[in-house]
Amino acid sequence: MIEVSQLRVEREGRTICAVEHLGITPGSKLTVLGSNGSGKTTLLRVLAGLTGDYSGTCRVAIDRHELTYVHQHPLLFRGNVLNNVRYGQRPGGRDALEWLRLVGMEHLAARSTRNLSGGEVRRIALARALALKPRLLLLDEPLAELDKQACEIVSDLLESLAETTIIIASPTPLPGALGKTTYTLSQ
Amino acid sequence: MHLIWEGFTDALDMIFSGEPLVFSAAWRSLWISSTAVALAMLIGLPLGTWLARAKFRGNGFIVLLFRAGMALPTVFVGMMCYAMFSRRGPLGALDLLYTPWGIVVGELLLAVPIIVGITHGAIKSLDPRIAETAWTLGAGPLRRWWTYISEARVSVLLAILTAFARCVTELGIAMIVGGNIKFRTRTLATATALETSKGEFARGIALGTLLLVIALVVTALIGWLSREDRR
Repeated sequence: MIEVSQLRVEREGRTICAVEHLGITPGSKLTVLGSNGSGKTTLLRVLAGLTGDYSGTCRVAIDRHELTYVHQHPLLFRGNVLNNVRYGQRPGGRDALEWLRLVGMEHLAARSTRNLSGGEVRRIALARALALKPRLLLLDEPLAELDKQACEIVSDLLESLAETTIIIASPTPLPGALGKTTYTLSQ
Repeated sequence: MHLIWEGFTDALDMIFSGEPLVFSAAWRSLWISSTAVALAMLIGLPLGTWLARAKFRGNGFIVLLFRAGMALPTVFVGMMCYAMFSRRGPLGALDLLYTPWGIVVGELLLAVPIIVGITHGAIKSLDPRIAETAWTLGAGPLRRWWTYISEARVSVLLAILTAFARCVTELGIAMIVGGNIKFRTRTLATATALETSKGEFARGIALGTLLLVIALVVTALIGWLSREDRR
């Protein structure tokens, strides 16, 4: 599904991301580990199609409408939480409120997106991404700012998505099944 | 001071007595400027967004031209329109000279650069994650455009307000293209100029006050529309 080879991203004469070889099969869950500045975010951005300025090969064999990327610091659009989750949702899928319930945020559905905590924004952004039912989900540090209980809710939810290929960037190893397969980026 | 006070009392008299000439000019000012700004929005909002998002050679120069256009002298626009709409002009067949629609076209030329210039700045300064998030959530071009406009709505509404303020108070186009014809092309601005030139300063101030009232109402309306807590 994804084939990365000899990937190199350079900025101002400095290599900010280098991947020798990385192959990902459909439905797998991969954690990209690495210290700060090792290029985890850059790799996800290349896979998402947000960064096209690289050398080497990066093949993602799905349509852009089938992949979703959630930023390291996700952004919610103005308006209320429910409308954010409905953004981009195609008819026939699970109700937006149901996705909010799955991340434990249904009580915030009618609230404005202003004045939410970092953890709440992160979980709502995840619900919004999941509502699109993507085949490939790229998550940049999805468990950052989450408390222990929220971490468990999100981890369990991601593990339950058997058909979705999930690539998670994280500076530290993740608990449970999500952290089983890893790829470490060196500085 | 007495003159100004007399002007204000005359303004109240005009409003409450329902003087046809004044109300006709006020209504004409309002619809001509609103129409010009509405048409300018149709052109300026997509164009300003596109210039902010597109990367091509010459983009900066086009933006520079629109920014320069924000300071277009109304007399110059009026003269250009006159030359275009006059019988021997290239658009003479449209018969727009000395008509309200001729003024609309002139004011449209005045409003487009303002809306393009401010919209471009507003969209350009948006958080880059807005465009990336909309794109990765699968939004099409129209949905993405609406998302940018919605996120930059305070500045976009300011662009509309600025364009309206410039149009409703302009004199050059209305005078040259419209001809200040009573009950036909007379606007509040041309009526104010006429009364002042006749030495009727109090009536001039009164008409100017009416213009100010219109500006206040429109500003309040736009302020209400751009409130942060509006859904």
